[in-house]
Amino acid sequence: MVTWTERTWFVDLTASRCWSEVASLEEVGPMIGGSGRGWQIMADRLPPGVDPFAPENIVVLNPGVLVGTRTIGASKLTAITKFPTIASEDHRFYTGSCTSGGRYFAVGMRQAGCDRLVILGRASRPVVLAVGDGGVVIEDAEDLWGRGIDEVSVELVRRKGSDAGVLAIGTAGEKMVRNAITIVDRTNSLGRGGLGAVLGSKNVKAIVARGTGGVRVADPQAYNDLSNELIQRAATWPRHDHWIKLGLAAGWSTFKHTQNPGMWTKDRWDELYGEEKRLESLRSVIACASCPLSCRLRWQIPDGEFGGEQGLGSPYSKSATSGQLLGIEDDRKMIHLVSEANTHSGIDYYTTMRLIDFVTRMYERGRISAEDAGFELTRTYATYERLFRMTAEREGIGDVLADGWYRVKEVLGPDPQEYWYAGVCKGMDFIYDARPSRFHPLMMTFLTRPRPHHGGAHTRTNSRGKSLEEIREQVEHWGLSDETMARIFRVSTYAGKFNVGRYTAYMEDLMRVKNALGLCTIYTYQALVFADEMARLYSAAVGDEVTARELIARGERVSNLAKLINARDGFTRADDQPPDVWFTPMQAPEGAIEMKDYFETKVLSRDDLARMLDDYYDERGWDIATGHPTPERLRAIQLEIYAGETPAGP
Amino acid sequence: MSATGRLVIRTDRCRGCRSCQLACSFARTGEYSTSGSCIEIERDLRTEGTSPLIHTICCDLCGGRPACAEACTYGAITFEPTSSAAIEYRKGAHGDVD
Repeated sequence: MVTWTERTWFVDLTASRCWSEVASLEEVGPMIGGSGRGWQIMADRLPPGVDPFAPENIVVLNPGVLVGTRTIGASKLTAITKFPTIASEDHRFYTGSCTSGGRYFAVGMRQAGCDRLVILGRASRPVVLAVGDGGVVIEDAEDLWGRGIDEVSVELVRRKGSDAGVLAIGTAGEKMVRNAITIVDRTNSLGRGGLGAVLGSKNVKAIVARGTGGVRVADPQAYNDLSNELIQRAATWPRHDHWIKLGLAAGWSTFKHTQNPGMWTKDRWDELYGEEKRLESLRSVIACASCPLSCRLRWQIPDGEFGGEQGLGSPYSKSATSGQLLGIEDDRKMIHLVSEANTHSGIDYYTTMRLIDFVTRMYERGRISAEDAGFELTRTYATYERLFRMTAEREGIGDVLADGWYRVKEVLGPDPQEYWYAGVCKGMDFIYDARPSRFHPLMMTFLTRPRPHHGGAHTRTNSRGKSLEEIREQVEHWGLSDETMARIFRVSTYAGKFNVGRYTAYMEDLMRVKNALGLCTIYTYQALVFADEMARLYSAAVGDEVTARELIARGERVSNLAKLINARDGFTRADDQPPDVWFTPMQAPEGAIEMKDYFETKVLSRDDLARMLDDYYDERGWDIATGHPTPERLRAIQLEIYAGETPAGP
Repeated sequence: MSATGRLVIRTDRCRGCRSCQLACSFARTGEYSTSGSCIEIERDLRTEGTSPLIHTICCDLCGGRPACAEACTYGAITFEPTSSAAIEYRKGAHGDVD
């Protein structure tokens, strides 16, 4: 039997020093391992009040516990840091996590014997962190600074070997554009809210990982047998052939509901950005490590002004929503900007496009002047492209947009709560709108989790049209008590047929587990792997027999630490509020769209959502008034050493 | 190779998931390691297309049930029983949608 351990590599950039520590299953197990343990390191090492761009901020990169093995979709990396998005008018910053798949990077870390990388301090000059069999080496990167993400990624693969994985920042990260992301292995984006900017502040241009070692599991036979069963389930899934043909270009009919801005008719949107249009530029579909349902894309713009331009990743959802918001009927123009963001600057396309939509509309309404903006903000593609580049470069008004929604309010006037599409919470815009989506648990988690982005938190409820039986069936695998199940599925006047608040508490904990294990969210979304199977995989991998309920309870510890870190920085229930726009009907060509519950039994009010928030905090045993973990709850889940850190009530 | 049969590699179907490498090393050593397998994944940096390359000096066809073929859900590596041992490459455009 393998004795399972985790090795954490620390890099102190200020002191140019690297060292590692090994922890046993006994030490790590209570927090699962992977990103679960990573959150504990943040709780222990990140002091409250640290500016995200200060050397004292920390980045923790965690490949999942199962990454590097052959099981269903085990490719995920979770990064944890304090994000630089200005999250409130008084400039508070949330500490959150983000996840990404990939083919090489996370696997390379594990094969190099690096189960976690903790980045501390700030380098005096640009550097690359090279993770290899001998440990972590800080390498000079002066020659890479100022170059685009894709160029740097290719260069590092050429230097280190064709199976080297690369996580890189672009020019926007270097300039600390607050929304800047990173790109992993050229195909996967990571870190909405500014992971790229944090790495830029530390002078880290990229991290490259390549190892030649192996990953062992405690019970190889049991692990391999279950993995085969799960992989076969995915390979024989009725939608398998459609999915692997289209990857992330699939799901247009579902997508239309979740991200519809309601400005064009759905037929018009189909014609301009639908599945047929996607096929015109789709060239190939690429898998992440150990994934039988590939989804990453290579595309090439077939003709027109940007004809021949190609890129990697997933341009379609982003371009379709922004195209409609900005009134750009030529999908090729929008895909061109996605390409620029993903291959060069690393600017976050979602946030930047919504900010551009906001300021140009506000200019049209006379709320922002040409004098304030520096030029006329006409609703044209030329203006959008100019603002896009100015934001990435922090030039002129772009310097304001680069600092996000609250900075726009401070300098130009309009309040983020006036934004008409999807809304803003904790300084971040949502990629789904709760009105066309319906108020499902993913929308709830945008409010309750520290970083308001989905970050791989999908269950069956994220698509419309599932039956209550199907939703219940997935939850039955979570191993909850009869009393808990009764609370989740009790019909109420404010939540409908199931209680989204109570459901979300356990869903979040399960997603903490999924991320700690490194499994892709597509499998929980499509009900191709269940919580009890995750527990069996984990048990066989580490040699610790746990049930789904026990594993979810460990996920609860992670959720509590994540919330506690943010409570120490002043976040309260007042920050977990739904955007104003959710309560205003969307005026779509097909008629008004109001925010309803999942089964569309009623229009939801502020009071309804407040009661669901009450239930969420109540289910967690947290203080309903503050939204904070209580000392009592922290003690009950064996986090007593943190019980004294809960801030006093209001 | 002591076992017989033909491994057929259809490079156009490879999606780069590396499951074949992990299955190969697991079958040989009981641990998962891409560099510990008999398969190299060729990577085209222009397209991020990939294709498996079998090292015949190392591959023994797993005694007649190649783990790589069983692990590949994309049909990029398949196994056909024959009276002799062989590896056959059928080249195509990397990863193109078919």
